[in-house]
Amino acid sequence: MDDKQRSVKRLGMKDSFVNSFFALVFSLLLGMLFLAASGYSAIESYKSIFGVSLGTVKGFALSLSQATPIMFTGLSFALAYRVRMINTGAEGQLYAGAIAAAIVGAYITSLPGVVHIPLAFLAAFIAGGLVALLVALAKVYFGANEIIMTLMLNQVIILFTSYLSNGPLKPAGSGVGQTERILDSAKLTRLIPQTQLTTAIFLVIGVAILLQLMLDKTVFGYEIKITGNNLRAAEVAGINVARTYITTFALSGAVAGLGGAAMVLGVNYRFIEGFSSSYGFAGISIAALAAYSPAGVIVSAFLIGILKSGTITLNRLTSIPVEFVEVIQVLIIIFVAAPKLISSILNIFKKIKDKFVKNKEIPLKENNVNGGES
Amino acid sequence: MEFNPDLIYSILASTLRSSVPLILASMGGCFSMRAGVSDLGLEGMMLSGAFFSVVGSWLTGSPWIGLLFGAGFGILFSMLHAVMHVTYKINASISGMSVNLLAAASTPLLLTLIFNLSGKSAAVAAFTRPNWPWLNKIPVLGKILGTQNVLFYVTILLVILSWIFIYKTKLGLRMRMVSENPEAASTVGLNVKAYKYFGVAMSGCLAGLGGAYLSLGQMNLFVEEMTAGRGYIAVVINAFGKYNPLGALAGSLFFGFFDSLQTIFQGILPSQIVMMTPYLFTLLIITFGMRGARAPAGVGKHVED
Repeated sequence: MDDKQRSVKRLGMKDSFVNSFFALVFSLLLGMLFLAASGYSAIESYKSIFGVSLGTVKGFALSLSQATPIMFTGLSFALAYRVRMINTGAEGQLYAGAIAAAIVGAYITSLPGVVHIPLAFLAAFIAGGLVALLVALAKVYFGANEIIMTLMLNQVIILFTSYLSNGPLKPAGSGVGQTERILDSAKLTRLIPQTQLTTAIFLVIGVAILLQLMLDKTVFGYEIKITGNNLRAAEVAGINVARTYITTFALSGAVAGLGGAAMVLGVNYRFIEGFSSSYGFAGISIAALAAYSPAGVIVSAFLIGILKSGTITLNRLTSIPVEFVEVIQVLIIIFVAAPKLISSILNIFKKIKDKFVKNKEIPLKENNVNGGES
Repeated sequence: MEFNPDLIYSILASTLRSSVPLILASMGGCFSMRAGVSDLGLEGMMLSGAFFSVVGSWLTGSPWIGLLFGAGFGILFSMLHAVMHVTYKINASISGMSVNLLAAASTPLLLTLIFNLSGKSAAVAAFTRPNWPWLNKIPVLGKILGTQNVLFYVTILLVILSWIFIYKTKLGLRMRMVSENPEAASTVGLNVKAYKYFGVAMSGCLAGLGGAYLSLGQMNLFVEEMTAGRGYIAVVINAFGKYNPLGALAGSLFFGFFDSLQTIFQGILPSQIVMMTPYLFTLLIITFGMRGARAPAGVGKHVED
C-alpha cells in the first residue's frame, strides 16, 4: 500500500468517524427533545444516565454486561454487511445459539469447565451458523431475499424454542417457559460479584480482534472486501463469489449464536423464553455506528451499553421509559445511513449562524432563516 | 371424520378475516413497486397504522376517525422511506428497514407515554359486524360473509379501484413507466420523484389501513408487535402476485387459507408449532415459488437531477 492509498484510506476512516459522531450527537439531541416533550427534564436525565453508568462501579459493570450480547450481534451484522448482505436474522441466530448452549450446558455431565464451556460455545456457534447457512444457500442458489428469509426464520426459531422450553425441555414444576439449569461446570466466571459482567466480554473482544485481522490481513478477508465493494471485479478476478457469500453469512450467524451462549452461560444459567430484549436488532445500529468495522463495534456497543444501563437504573427512580434507548438506536441507523441528511442539517445550522452574524452587521431582513428545512 | 359444513364455513370465514390485512398491505406494495420503489417498509407502516388507529379511536371514540389516523400515520411513516430512498438515494433495503425498526421501537414507547401501559393498549371503540338481515338469509354465502365487518367490503372496493387506477388510467400508466424505465419517463417530461413519492404514500396509506384492520377490525386494542411479520409476508405476496392488485388479492387469500388451517390443527399440535405455519409457508414460497416473479425493471433506479 503506497502513501496515497494509505491517505485515501485514512480519509475514508476519518469521514466515517465524523459521520458516526454527528449521527450519535443528533440522535441524542432528538432523544432529548423527545424526553422534554414527554415531560422529563432532558438535561438532568442525560446527566444521571451518564453519571450512573460511568461514575459507579456497578453502573460501569452493568454497561459492559449490557453491551456484551449486542457486541456479538453488532459483529454479526457488520461482518455480513462487508459482502453487502443484510443479516436481520441475528435475533433468531441468537436464540438458536442460546438453546444449543443451554442443552449442552445442562445435559452433558461430568466435564471439567475448561472443556464444558468451550463445548457449549461451539454448539452455539454451529447452531447460529447453520441457521444463517440455510439463508445464504437460499439467497445464492434461489435468489431469495435474505432480509425476509431471516425475519421469517426469526419467528420460526423463536416459536420453536418457545415450544421446546414449554414442552420437552421444561423442568418439572417450572411455571414459565425455560430449560433445565446448566451445570456449574458450564457457568462463566463473574468478573465483579453481584453483577452480570462475565468473562464473555473477553471472548467477544477476542472475536472482534480475530475478525478484524481476518478482514485486514487474510486472503479471505480480501475476497470479502472485493466481493462487497465491486461484485463484477470479484467475478472477473476469479473469486468464488458464491462461496464468499455463503461462508461470510454463515460466520455472521455463528457469531450471533455465540451471543446467545454468552447470555445462557453467563447471565441466565438456562434458556428462558423471550430472554432477548431485541439484541439482534440493536446489532444493526451498533454495526452502522461502527461503520461496519469489528473494532469499532466494541466501542459503539459500549456506548449503547452506557445508555441502556443508565436508562435501566434511572427507570427505577423516575419511570423514564427504557424503550427510549431503542428509539435512539433507530435514529442512529437513519442518520448514519444518510450522510447527506447530516450535512444538510449542518448546513442549516451554518446558514442560521451566517444569518445571525450578518444580522448583527446589517439588522434588516429576518425571514428566510427556516428556508433550508426540508 | 364426519363431514361438517360448519367447519368449512368457519375456515372460509376465517380465511377472509386473515386475508384482509394481507390484501391491504400487499396492495400497498403494488403501488410502491409499480412506482419503482422497494416495498420492504410495509411492516413498519402497518404497525404504525395499527397503533395510531387505536390512538385515533381512543381520542374521538369513533373507529372511522381511528381508521383515518391509521392511514395518515401509515403515510407519515412511509415518508421516512421516501425521503431517505427517493430524495437522499439511500439503499432501499436500509430505508425500508429503518421504517420497520422505527415503528417497532417507537410504538412501545408511545404506548407507555400515551396509555401509561406496557404490552397492550386500553380497549377502544372498534368496528362491529354490520347487521344486514338480508345477507344472513343467503345460504352458504351468508354464513361466510355475514361474519365479516364493513372493512372487508371496503377492502374489496379498494382492490377494484387500485386495479383500475394502475392499469386503466393515464396516471397509472405513467407511474408504471417510472417503475419500468425512470430514465425514459424523465426524458418524456414526467416528474419521476413525484410519482415515486405518490407510490410510497399510497403504500403507507394502504398498509396503515391493513394495520388498522388488525387493531380495530379483528380486535379492539393495540398489542405490541401485533403485525407479527405480516408486512414481510405481504412483501412476498406482492412478488408472488406479480405486483398486481388482483394478484395481491389472490395471493393473500391463498396465504389466508393456510393461516386459517391453524384452527384445525389447534388441539392436535402444540400451539407454537401451529403458529409457525404461515412463516414456514412464506419461507417455502420465497425460496421455491418465485421463479416467475419479475420485479419492474426500474425498481431502485434513480434519475440524475
